[in-house]
Amino acid sequence: MKHVNKMKWFILSLTLILILSACSSSGGNTQSANGGQNGSSGGGIKITLLNSKSEIQPQLEEAAKAFHEANPTISLEIQPVPNGGSPFERASTLYASGNPPTMIMLDTGDVAKFKDRILDLSGEKWNADTVDHALDLTTIDGKNYAFPLAVEGYGFIYNKAVVDKAVGGNFDPSTINTTASLENLFKQIEASGKKALVVSPMDWSLGAHYFSLAYAGQDKDITKVNAFIDDLRAGKVDLASNKVFNGLMDTFDVMTKYNIDQASPLAGTYERGPELLGKGEVGIWFMGNWAWPQISSFDTANKEYGFLPVPISNNAGDYGNQEISSAVSKRIVIDKEKSTPEQQDAAKKFLDWIVYEQQGQDFLVNKANIIPAFKNITLPAADPLGKSIQDYISRGKSEQSMSDLPADHWANVGASMQKYLAKQSDRAALAKEIEQYWTNVKE
Amino acid sequence: MVTDKGVWSRLRLRLLFTGPTLFAFVAVMIVPFLYGIYLTFTNWDGISTTQSLVGFQNYGSVFKDAEFWKSFGLTLKYVLFTVVFINVLAFLLAYLLTKGLKGQSFFRAGFFLPNLLGGIVLGFIWQFIFNNVLVFLGQKMGIGLFSTSWLSDPNRAFWTLVIVAVWQYAGYMMVIYVAGLTGVPGDILEAASIDGANGWLKMTRMTIPLMVPSFIVCIFLSLQRGFMVYDVNLALTKGGPFKSTELVSMHVYQKAFLSRDYGVGQAEALVLFLIVAVITLLQVYFSKKMEVEA
Repeated sequence: MKHVNKMKWFILSLTLILILSACSSSGGNTQSANGGQNGSSGGGIKITLLNSKSEIQPQLEEAAKAFHEANPTISLEIQPVPNGGSPFERASTLYASGNPPTMIMLDTGDVAKFKDRILDLSGEKWNADTVDHALDLTTIDGKNYAFPLAVEGYGFIYNKAVVDKAVGGNFDPSTINTTASLENLFKQIEASGKKALVVSPMDWSLGAHYFSLAYAGQDKDITKVNAFIDDLRAGKVDLASNKVFNGLMDTFDVMTKYNIDQASPLAGTYERGPELLGKGEVGIWFMGNWAWPQISSFDTANKEYGFLPVPISNNAGDYGNQEISSAVSKRIVIDKEKSTPEQQDAAKKFLDWIVYEQQGQDFLVNKANIIPAFKNITLPAADPLGKSIQDYISRGKSEQSMSDLPADHWANVGASMQKYLAKQSDRAALAKEIEQYWTNVKE
Repeated sequence: MVTDKGVWSRLRLRLLFTGPTLFAFVAVMIVPFLYGIYLTFTNWDGISTTQSLVGFQNYGSVFKDAEFWKSFGLTLKYVLFTVVFINVLAFLLAYLLTKGLKGQSFFRAGFFLPNLLGGIVLGFIWQFIFNNVLVFLGQKMGIGLFSTSWLSDPNRAFWTLVIVAVWQYAGYMMVIYVAGLTGVPGDILEAASIDGANGWLKMTRMTIPLMVPSFIVCIFLSLQRGFMVYDVNLALTKGGPFKSTELVSMHVYQKAFLSRDYGVGQAEALVLFLIVAVITLLQVYFSKKMEVEA
């Protein structure tokens, strides 16, 4: 009997070892199998792009087709990030399963995390043609790892038909440069029988976009802004006495006062914003140029919309009162772990195609409504919001958006802002919560 | 005495039946679990190719993470209410639907149906109901309670989670109770009636004690599902408003993938696993003692 028991254990452990080794070796096998599959089998090169800008999925698919026609040996497949998912999460899952896409569209702050697994793109021709500061945040140890895809900006979007009626004539956006003048405009809109504005309560909008203005507005010099963030991490900032923070929150209080959803400020959804603004039921909405496709489907203002800055004081000359926050937002990186050299070359070719080929530029600007991050692309923005942002940038009235904040910043600070919006906390509590967030944040 | 040949053929037979399951179990449960334990000792962020061992530091962070314990407390509250409501409702439904009502199989199927829907779909459906349907009705008919969305108030949002969970699982547990109720021997109840026991006595002294095995299973299942709920939480409230309904699974997930603190997230998951394991094992152990023989 003893003999049998020993035998049993031996066999059992042998099976376990076999199973385990089968697991690990199958991992190795898939790699080579994948290489053969994705690589040059059948004469064509197959590459993939993980798209995290879901609003341009159909446009990208069309661009992939056009690119394939121009380069018959390369076929490009666009994989969407599931709605509401984060590109970082999706990409890390794909890496974990040993099946990363050739190209990944990441948010700026994520690029550094992927640095060991993606290609150094410093040698590409387009590096020389980018707009100023476009590569600052993705350059690590002197090497640039990412392709800047889009410039995006945000602020108060106004419906010109509504504000024209409110001010009784041709509305001049440059007249709004203090909290008081903004409030005055709200009053005028309400007097004309419309609601002044809608505040969309999503945590990303309130946390990553609205509240970030409190950091970026600290100084025109980005290094001083970074120093401010470092001080926050070190717990050396007293937000409650900070001038920019208080000015920004004063403006927020005014927004709260004129918010159409005042009765239940957290019930609003993103979809509600473009509808109210496009139909002209409100005059103003705090959002960015990416919202154009949604606004245009409700448009009643003959495509006349534009941006107003978010004022942070009652002194028109203060930095931030005339500037629109904008930055390069989405970045494309190329995988170097599982992609073959042919695939990497094909991916680089696709990036070149976007920047230098007429078809690619047309896709970027006219089809996808993107503000390009390249100086050589001279096509004017196709939509009024993009035009408005381009106009602010060209006049030097743009403020760097904070696009490399910690990954959980929007969720945590956004939650604190929601609490404030719903009047479940006051300004002192908000300042405390945000100071606390920064002293506990990872990195 | 068994010969070697006998051992081999027996083992072959065993492997034929248990081998595939054993393989699947080891590959998708044991190996990831052990690897997960290893990751709790690293400072991995989820993507970088390098990671260093940090000892028990992550476990220290778990105990210092006030948000984790806050969401754990909320989860306990959620589990308490869902377990009680699901089981009470399920038992009542089962009781009514074993009395020989007309069309009772139809009703059983109807109550079971919500369980077949995926949690995400279900969350979106109820989100629409709470955000639009109820608000519309509340405003039209002047019912103050429904005139603003329940999902925008922290306290009410918590109750929406409980309501949806009860709606989803009561039918499922009902099926188990129906089986238990029909398994209670009729002759005992009949003997009790002859001895003059009324309905209430029969229920509390005969039926419920004999159904302890059903209760064990149902309470175990609802406990475990309550602690591990994620899908409905995500689709219905997304943890909002302002993180007030973030249950513990969601917090763990956010920690690992949103804050990119994979090591701490994994350690929190392990702590959660241990707590839930202890609670459910205790529940089964103590309720086993209440079992009686007919």
